[in-house]
Amino acid sequence: MTDFLQFVFAGSALGARYALVALGFVVIYRATGVINFAQGGLVALGAYIAYHFTDRIGAPFVIAVLAAVAACAIVGVLIQRVVLARMVGQPAFAVIMITIGLLFVIEQLIPTLWGYNSHNLGDPWGIKTVDLAGLTLAERDLWTLAIAAMALGGFFAFFRLSRYGLAMRAVAIDQEAALAQGISVGAVVAVSWAISGMVAALAGVTLSTGATAVSPTISFIALAAFPAMILGGLDSPGGAVIGGLLIGITQTLTAGYQPEHAAWLGDNFHVVMPYVVMIVILMVRPYGLFGVPEVDRA
Amino acid sequence: MSTPAVTDPPAPARSAPLPPRLLRTRTSRVWALVLVGAYVLAPLTVSDFWLSVLAYAGIAAIGAFGLNLLTGYAGQVSLGHAAFIGVGAYAAGWLGADEGLPLPLWLLGAALIGGVLGAVVGPFALRLRGQYLVVVTLGLVFLAEHVFRNWRGLTGGNSGRAIDPPASFGVDFNDFSLGGFAASRAQSWFWLIWALVAVVALIAANLARSRAGRALQAIRDRDLAAELTGVDIARTKVAVFALSSALAALAGALLGAYQEFVSPSEWNLVLSIQYIAIIIVGGLGSVYGPVLGAVFVGSMPRVIEEYSSSIPGVSSGAGDDGVITVFALNQVLFGVLIIGFLIAEPRGLTALARRVAARVNRSSATPARTTDNEEET
Amino acid sequence: MTALLDVSDVTLRFGGVTALDGVSFTTDTGELLAVIGPNGAGKTSVFNCISGVYVPQAGTITLEGASLLGSRRRSADLGVARTFQNLGLFPTLTVTENLLLGRHRHMRAGFLAGAAWFGRSRDEERRHRESISELLQLLRLDEYRDAHVAMLPYGIQKRVELGRALAMEPRLLLLDEPVAGMNAGETEAMASYIGAVRTARPDLAVVLVEHDMPFVMGLADRVVALDFGTPIATGTPAEIQRDERVIAAYLGTAA
Repeated sequence: MTDFLQFVFAGSALGARYALVALGFVVIYRATGVINFAQGGLVALGAYIAYHFTDRIGAPFVIAVLAAVAACAIVGVLIQRVVLARMVGQPAFAVIMITIGLLFVIEQLIPTLWGYNSHNLGDPWGIKTVDLAGLTLAERDLWTLAIAAMALGGFFAFFRLSRYGLAMRAVAIDQEAALAQGISVGAVVAVSWAISGMVAALAGVTLSTGATAVSPTISFIALAAFPAMILGGLDSPGGAVIGGLLIGITQTLTAGYQPEHAAWLGDNFHVVMPYVVMIVILMVRPYGLFGVPEVDRA
Repeated sequence: MSTPAVTDPPAPARSAPLPPRLLRTRTSRVWALVLVGAYVLAPLTVSDFWLSVLAYAGIAAIGAFGLNLLTGYAGQVSLGHAAFIGVGAYAAGWLGADEGLPLPLWLLGAALIGGVLGAVVGPFALRLRGQYLVVVTLGLVFLAEHVFRNWRGLTGGNSGRAIDPPASFGVDFNDFSLGGFAASRAQSWFWLIWALVAVVALIAANLARSRAGRALQAIRDRDLAAELTGVDIARTKVAVFALSSALAALAGALLGAYQEFVSPSEWNLVLSIQYIAIIIVGGLGSVYGPVLGAVFVGSMPRVIEEYSSSIPGVSSGAGDDGVITVFALNQVLFGVLIIGFLIAEPRGLTALARRVAARVNRSSATPARTTDNEEET
Repeated sequence: MTALLDVSDVTLRFGGVTALDGVSFTTDTGELLAVIGPNGAGKTSVFNCISGVYVPQAGTITLEGASLLGSRRRSADLGVARTFQNLGLFPTLTVTENLLLGRHRHMRAGFLAGAAWFGRSRDEERRHRESISELLQLLRLDEYRDAHVAMLPYGIQKRVELGRALAMEPRLLLLDEPVAGMNAGETEAMASYIGAVRTARPDLAVVLVEHDMPFVMGLADRVVALDFGTPIATGTPAEIQRDERVIAAYLGTAA
């Protein structure tokens, strides 16, 4: 039982990281109707910028995180303005491939700038743990949950209460109608990219806390957020959070129990477990737990 | 426009539009001859290094024909191509190397296995419209890699396996001799691979000018209108996914046999994205684009590697001095090519080449009727 | 005697919005029925139900007794062809290819036959290209037949779309605002093309949705007027033009 609770806790922390990545996907999808594959690149970039500030500049950790958040927001907006703005009116499949190309570029620029070796993020938690009710909890996981909760709370407050949040929801429902209401679709798309850059940076930072976890593979870990997004529903921010948590917990439980109880599934099965869940979901409930089926416009 | 059709006498009957021939214009016939000549003569004049570069490019072209039908023609983006290429390589290992089947059988067998797997996966992956396929096939790459790493009996696990199937078809391509003439492996495999490229190109060109090819493009352009016109969207998508997977597996079988050794880490997302770069650079939905793209994208890393010492700022390995490694530079260039071509010239090198040809023709004062629409000739 | 198309008591809702409320009408072989109504009256929704794009919550739609509800390809197979308000052409294909897609359901060659080309695929291509050459002439599209549709002017695109629908050899043709956005000359030309089509295919039933009242009144055998998804009048053009409820719905403007 202790094991189980331990796994669920670690899984929730992992899931919170996925939730942050998946939220970035959902925000862009709602604004532009396209799945942004470059999101994983932004996640890795966020981690490396934070590392750059702590290790190379010697800034305090909090400052480094804020700098990463700001930088990724700017990079997100730049990507939209410089590259994707040129693709307006092009078919979605072409835009997706552009974001795939962007992922490729960002993923290789990172080791070019910071090298292939793994680094310490310079976070205050490292591998420290606290004991609580018989459980050994990693400090970094506790803080991850706290940071994710704050970020998600902030996002939903913005999304539900602010003028821009309302505009974002309007644009997601019907771009033309939103335009007719005087909403600037361009501004909404830019804000969406900024938000997605910010949550990407937080995801990157929380994914790379601990020991020597800043490495170019972060963007691949972030890919596991795709199943989270599918599970929750492509267009549902709340679904992204719940999907992220479920995927994280499932993955940790798999890592904990599969080697002993289902060894025939092979080594490191927990790495692909999110994709197994995703495929099952697509067969059973194709638009996710909270997604809305696409409607044809004839 | 304002003269109604009813009141006019029927227009003189013009001949019914004929189905396009593959080599309609004189230019295209000349090109075909040049290519056949190059095919025969290149191995006799080009160094083994470049023959091997071209052989890999030919293999990539075969796989890219498949992806181009799926993505370029039908508008369905897949990141799963690498998985099916891997399937083909292991099928060649099983049927060719382990079971000792002759060349045509292990090649066809690999394509068949890839096609059947595609037909099994397709209905789930294609059930939903739009972008779900990208995500599902992303998962497919990871799942396939997991299976490849763990099915040790077939794949040798993480350490990989040798693939040395028989390669005789009249002549032995591993040890080529005809009359008194003997050829190196690089020479003979060049002939084998590019002959297969020609066959696959013919298949793609035939499909493009027939009912199935039109249905694919209709789905890409307007899926709802296609459906209401009577196109069976679900079936057509699954069929093209299966065909695309079969061609990927065929490429994989050739790749495994040509490399003689494969390991599971080869069939990853990066490989899939390289194929996307190939079809974009060649020209999405253009019949011969995959060949142009494969030669360009396939030879670019080799050129950079070969001349890395003379390109400023490029280091040949992670430890050496330099701003960027050869590997990273190549990947960045793939990404830049994808982005650049999609924004600036979505019809790829095919369109660029055609534009250059048109300019050359114009400046040499030939009549205005040039080779437009060559992809349909 | 049963009608060719029988739309009976069709009700369609989106969430809380009722797009169609108890719509009924019939069309016979060889007849041209116009569906009119102000913007948002549900005209296009009627078409979307007939062609299987939307499934109404209540009511039946049959073509010679066979239900058209719920499947898009089924409607095409049973002989329903349609055009779209904002054009549903395949823009990257040529005029010939667009028309050949209309022939798609009459052709059989699949992927394997297509890949082989010689034999079935080539013979079929030849036969069906011949069969569309007649349409190309009827609609005066011969000179554009190798042009990519995206490059053509709007008026000609509309005609290409009509041609693609006719290439399907439908029994029922649905025309969704065939003259929307056209000037007077183009509208007149489209009217004469539709007339020519009806002469060439006397058995074809046509249902047409349109705003342009003179155009509708000149062409239609019968008219159904909708307002807010409810049928308010059915009759000959002359009767409809006198109908007070119709005049009221249009605020006395067009009718």
